[in-house]
Amino acid sequence: MIRLTIDGREATVPEGTMVVDAAATVGIDIPIYCYHQALGPLGACRICLVEIEKMPKLMTACTTAATDGMVVHTQSKAAEKGRRGILEFLLINHPLDCPICDKGGECFLQDYVFQYGAGQARFEEAKIQRHKEYPVSPYILVDQERCVLCQRCVRFLGEYVGEEQLLMDGRGVHTVITNVPGIPVTSPFSGNVIDLCPVGALLSEPYHYRARPWNIEREETYCSQCPVGCPSSVTGRDGQVVRLEGRPTPGQWGWLCDHGRFTYDFGTHPTRLTEALLDANPVTVGRAAQVLGERLAAVVREHGADAVAILTGGSHILEDHHALRRFADEVVGTSRIGLVKPVESDLPLALLGTFAELEQSDTVLLLGTDPYESVPVVHLGLREQVRKRGLRVKALGDRHLLRETLAGEEWVVEPGGMAAALAAATAAASSHPDARRAAEGLDPADESLTGLGQALVEADALTILWDGREPDLVRALVALARARGDRATRVLPTFGPRNWLAAVRAGIPTDYETTRRILMDAADGRIQVLLLWGADPIRDFPDGDLAARALERCPEVYFGGVFPPEGAKLLAGMLPTAAWAEETGTYVNMEGRLQTAHGAASAPGQARPTRSILQTVARAFGSPLRRLDEWDPYEGTVEDRVVLPPLEETVTSVSRSEAAQTGKDSGFRLISGFDVAVTHDPSEVAARTKEERPARMHPQDLEDLGLQDGSGLVQILSGDRSFRVGVRSDPRIPRGRVFVPRGVTGVPINRLTTTDVAVRVAEEVASR
Amino acid sequence: MTPEEKAPGTPPDWDSDWAAWAAAAKAEYPRAQSALMPFLHRVQARDGWLRPEALDAAARYLELPRQYVESVVSFYSLFRTEPTGHRTIHVCVSLSCALAGSDALLHNLEETLGIRVGQTTPDGSYTLLEAECLAACDLAPACQVNLRYVGPVPPERFQTLLEEEVPTREEA
Amino acid sequence: MKKLDRHYLLRHRDVAGIGTLKGYEADGGYSGLKKALSEFEPDALVDLVKASGLRGRGGAGFPTGLKWSFLAKDGRPRALVVNADEGEPGTFKDREIIEHNPHQLIEGMLIASYATRAPESFIYIRGEFLRGYEVLQQAIAEAMEGGYIGDKVLGTDFSHRMYLYRGAGAYICGEESALLESLEGRRGNPRLKPPFPAVAGVYGLPTVVNNVETIANLPPLILNGAEWHRQWGTEKSPGLKVMSVSGHVARPGNYEVPLDTTLRELIEMAGGVTPGHQVKAVIPGGSSMPLLPASKLDTSIDYESLVQAGSMLGSGGCIVMDDTTCIVAAVARVVRFYRDESCGKCTPCREGTYWMTDVLDRLEGGLGELDDLDTLLDVADNINGKAFCPLGDASVGFMVSAIRHFRDEFVEHITGRTCPLGARLYDTVNY
Ligand SMILES: Cc1cc2nc3c(=O)[nH]c(=O)nc-3n(C[C@H](O)[C@H](O)[C@H](O)COP(=O)(O)O)c2cc1C
Ligand code: SF4
Ligand code: FES
Repeated sequence: MIRLTIDGREATVPEGTMVVDAAATVGIDIPIYCYHQALGPLGACRICLVEIEKMPKLMTACTTAATDGMVVHTQSKAAEKGRRGILEFLLINHPLDCPICDKGGECFLQDYVFQYGAGQARFEEAKIQRHKEYPVSPYILVDQERCVLCQRCVRFLGEYVGEEQLLMDGRGVHTVITNVPGIPVTSPFSGNVIDLCPVGALLSEPYHYRARPWNIEREETYCSQCPVGCPSSVTGRDGQVVRLEGRPTPGQWGWLCDHGRFTYDFGTHPTRLTEALLDANPVTVGRAAQVLGERLAAVVREHGADAVAILTGGSHILEDHHALRRFADEVVGTSRIGLVKPVESDLPLALLGTFAELEQSDTVLLLGTDPYESVPVVHLGLREQVRKRGLRVKALGDRHLLRETLAGEEWVVEPGGMAAALAAATAAASSHPDARRAAEGLDPADESLTGLGQALVEADALTILWDGREPDLVRALVALARARGDRATRVLPTFGPRNWLAAVRAGIPTDYETTRRILMDAADGRIQVLLLWGADPIRDFPDGDLAARALERCPEVYFGGVFPPEGAKLLAGMLPTAAWAEETGTYVNMEGRLQTAHGAASAPGQARPTRSILQTVARAFGSPLRRLDEWDPYEGTVEDRVVLPPLEETVTSVSRSEAAQTGKDSGFRLISGFDVAVTHDPSEVAARTKEERPARMHPQDLEDLGLQDGSGLVQILSGDRSFRVGVRSDPRIPRGRVFVPRGVTGVPINRLTTTDVAVRVAEEVASR
Repeated sequence: MTPEEKAPGTPPDWDSDWAAWAAAAKAEYPRAQSALMPFLHRVQARDGWLRPEALDAAARYLELPRQYVESVVSFYSLFRTEPTGHRTIHVCVSLSCALAGSDALLHNLEETLGIRVGQTTPDGSYTLLEAECLAACDLAPACQVNLRYVGPVPPERFQTLLEEEVPTREEA
Repeated sequence: MKKLDRHYLLRHRDVAGIGTLKGYEADGGYSGLKKALSEFEPDALVDLVKASGLRGRGGAGFPTGLKWSFLAKDGRPRALVVNADEGEPGTFKDREIIEHNPHQLIEGMLIASYATRAPESFIYIRGEFLRGYEVLQQAIAEAMEGGYIGDKVLGTDFSHRMYLYRGAGAYICGEESALLESLEGRRGNPRLKPPFPAVAGVYGLPTVVNNVETIANLPPLILNGAEWHRQWGTEKSPGLKVMSVSGHVARPGNYEVPLDTTLRELIEMAGGVTPGHQVKAVIPGGSSMPLLPASKLDTSIDYESLVQAGSMLGSGGCIVMDDTTCIVAAVARVVRFYRDESCGKCTPCREGTYWMTDVLDRLEGGLGELDDLDTLLDVADNINGKAFCPLGDASVGFMVSAIRHFRDEFVEHITGRTCPLGARLYDTVNY
């Protein structure tokens, strides 16, 4: 540790700490523009000049490492003059148009000039005129006149993300930040440059001129679009969400992906459910709740409580899940309650990992999942860990999961072959009985897998990102964890829905079998009323046919939620619920961590918080819920996480799944996964870049189909089932495979019975 | 440059030249990362400027982001992203040459050619540019025509620069 | 001052034809290399260069042997980079060496590479030196042919490869770390130090960056020894220096002189100031250095004496201004150079040079105000010592010294609303 004195205060910091960060530890704020801890020192803007005893000139606090006995003055005459000089320089070519600047009131140039600047402007010459409101992407405008050339944006995209799409153009005083004409910024992390820009140079186009700092409400929240749950701030104005910004927290930089950032308006999307319907007729939400309560009471009287089943979709807040659980137990009395999740597997919760553990791991395994697509901000974190400390990345999947910006070693196996491969790899590197048991009956390990097995078994600390496909992987994973003994083996689930782990915390069963039974019972007529809360089983449940049968055969299906589910015409009633940002509530992210998000907008139309709807239903049922709002979601949690059970799973042999064994010559194998770019909530803002062609194939395969320009519309057929889907080229999909993401409305891959499919070119329909 | 100003297409066989030049530039240095500027020099030596298609080719063949190429090109004053004349005249305007009358020289050239500094004559014969110290102050006012030194060129002898003694780009 | 009877750096002036390998060999060329390879262990060469007191001729005057001994000793291959980006206004010595005496540079590079154990060396030559580039290309090819470059140089265990790389018009690429960026194919923005090039230079390898003239000093130094080198100049500034003399002198050109020559002697060698005129001011070491008034002409050009007199030797670009020179115009011109050549990375240099240029242009045009002078000095103070790299400081040295020594002339421009000399440097204003 290093001890130094800053403005008379003693600071003790680890070696290598920059003076600016050392100062922060003792509450001294040294102004910065170009410096950002995630990007490292640059020393370009010079605003952080400080005086350091025994040094001949002022030093930049962001590039000077603290040394023992150093004495720093941030408020000395010399330091103040230096800083004032830099601020004056920054203003000479600045347009001073703060009154119309979106950043006005939130600007570090404004703040510092106010705090440290000279009162009087001495610069009387002509200012250089440059582009203002110049679009570099559908979301981002550059005001080159306001830019202080701190390079944060350029370095963030180029170095940190690895997608060099903004550039410094020109030299000297004529340098500007821009894109190449005709090549817009497309990185899904682009929006972060708006947050990173310390001044009003990079602006959010959707937010441009929408609000002023004094007429907005800015609340702490967490992004709701994928299981990462990134810390963010939501800006509300006049009851509507108008912006989402990243929010740095200790240990996290505050990055968001654009899918999350720009979907903030989903609550006001035209397809939003804003009125209650009974048999397709609009009614008040109170009336609908009343009717539902009465029907439930009647059904319970006539058929017993278990004739009622409740399925959550895992997107509502934790408090709602708790209310649903209590509603099932205390009002209806049914034991039939479950979660609709898009995968068959049940994650061994004992292995649930955290991001902090990921940062301590020396090896990460991407198991069937590409974090760039499924949990984008985790991709950024992985990349940082690789660059910063050489985190080793391994990937096992049915397609290429690594990319230019995340290098490592990968094994691409047959569709359905991941579990067998992982079991075999583990067995090749370990003689643990569970490892052998899991691999029993499998072909002797493919030589090439031995390396994978060794890397995984021998890693000091291993984190696995898994998207939950191939249920047999549970056995392989448990075997691997056991083979690794005391060394940490953690799994982070990358599948949605956003808040499915809230069900765990609320005591709602999350296993596949429970939900399958409920749907079977509904399909077999054993359930009279099915209550779907944010659940869209036809779209999401892995057995889409079963889900469809259940909705068709169950006499009364009610839905409460934000967007109508597939098969809405089969519903007896729909109740509009409040969404993210419309009330304060708790989300549980993929680490199992509870995070309370605050509201900044009001629910539109008749949408009401779930708890108030359920209470109305309960009253009509004749059994009101008591003290519902007194429940503390955090009570009994450890470090705000759900309590994890011990690892009890017994290991039996992994079988090659049926899909892996077939291999009929039908043309293509269907593979799947998760892709927030196409599954995020409907949004008019994010529609600007929404991918309209969710399926992907190898460019050569597309060319062979006659789709030379790398995209088009195809028909995917299997047996008597088929659907159309937009397809684009992706060289990371192996030849002979077609990738279709799960959970896309209107793309029912869960209704195909085999993964052997034929692919034909379909004609584009004009209405698409 | 805005997209509208983009140059018209290039002869198709140029692309294979570019591919070959890029490969040669890569092979010339111990690490391929040093290949960009040599490649750009090669292109500009023939074409007189770097058309957008050539920058696309640089990105493609040297496996660099197109944005990176753009950024590098814009930093260096010798790289031109607009067409230049057959003879590019650089007049040094730094102190020693200024003391020797380089401003008057430039002025005379502007009058005679009918263009301002930074422009190219409509017939495509000459491009007139200022240069910072050409490290030829002994030749003040020092000039270069297509990067060949000419000097001293006293202001009244500006015609020297327009005479045929220096080969054009095509002749070189 | 000890008189020189021949040239050691500008050897081509005495011996015709040494631009080719044959000619160079005929004049004893490459015997320095032969001696180095056969009689010296690498470290002994470093010691010899240290003992000679040779200091870098690129501008900073850093002791060359000492710089070599800073190279990281961790077994990684090292590299030598020769700075042939000569761009400091008033300096044109490297160009002459390159164009006319290229083999001496190459021989020096081989000696330096052997001494520093560098298997590879690079010449970064500014893009405008097309002729120099061609000469060096040819000379390197000849040297390879002659067995001086390549595997097992002259049958020894020393193997070497040499690369030639062209810049493309950016003065800042003369700054060593910007040069390395450019050599690696990037924009020429200076790098953050540490790490210094001696630890992580080109391609991350431990690297020595030396000026052309510094390196050209090596062959005669190795042949003749440290004491030979020390016979010229002063204790702290021994040796010979090629001074580029330009401006208002009869015979502008390069003059190879001992480091204790005075400015007056130098001007005499260059044929004296314009007939009928007096010296008004001299910049002794390139436009990044403060000017000296005529009263200081008897200052010796060694590093220490010039510092004492209020300037610096820099790269040895001596610009002589006679009494017809409008000092305001000269300052405006110099500051404009730095505005145009600022890389733009850091705020004070980028914005400050822009500001100063505008004020100076206004002043020179007779539109100045008296408080402009205070503003200029204060802006200079806000740049000086606060920029990322030395270019920032370089942009103010001449101006501040000019205001100090010729304040009256600035004031007359303001109060008289025109140049008192009736002479504007500019006839055209292009910006
Ligand atoms: C703005 C700037 C420009 C420079 N230009 C040159 C140059 O053109 N040639 C040169 O040799 N050194 C130049 N230098 C000095 C180099 O950074 C470096 O100190 C020198 O090449 C080291 O060589 P030496 O030790 O042999 O002098 C420049 C420095 C600065 C700050
Ligand atoms: S002082 Fe700053 S802007 Fe100027 S050249 Fe150096 S880094 Fe670039
Ligand atoms: S924050 Fe330190 S130089 Fe920019």
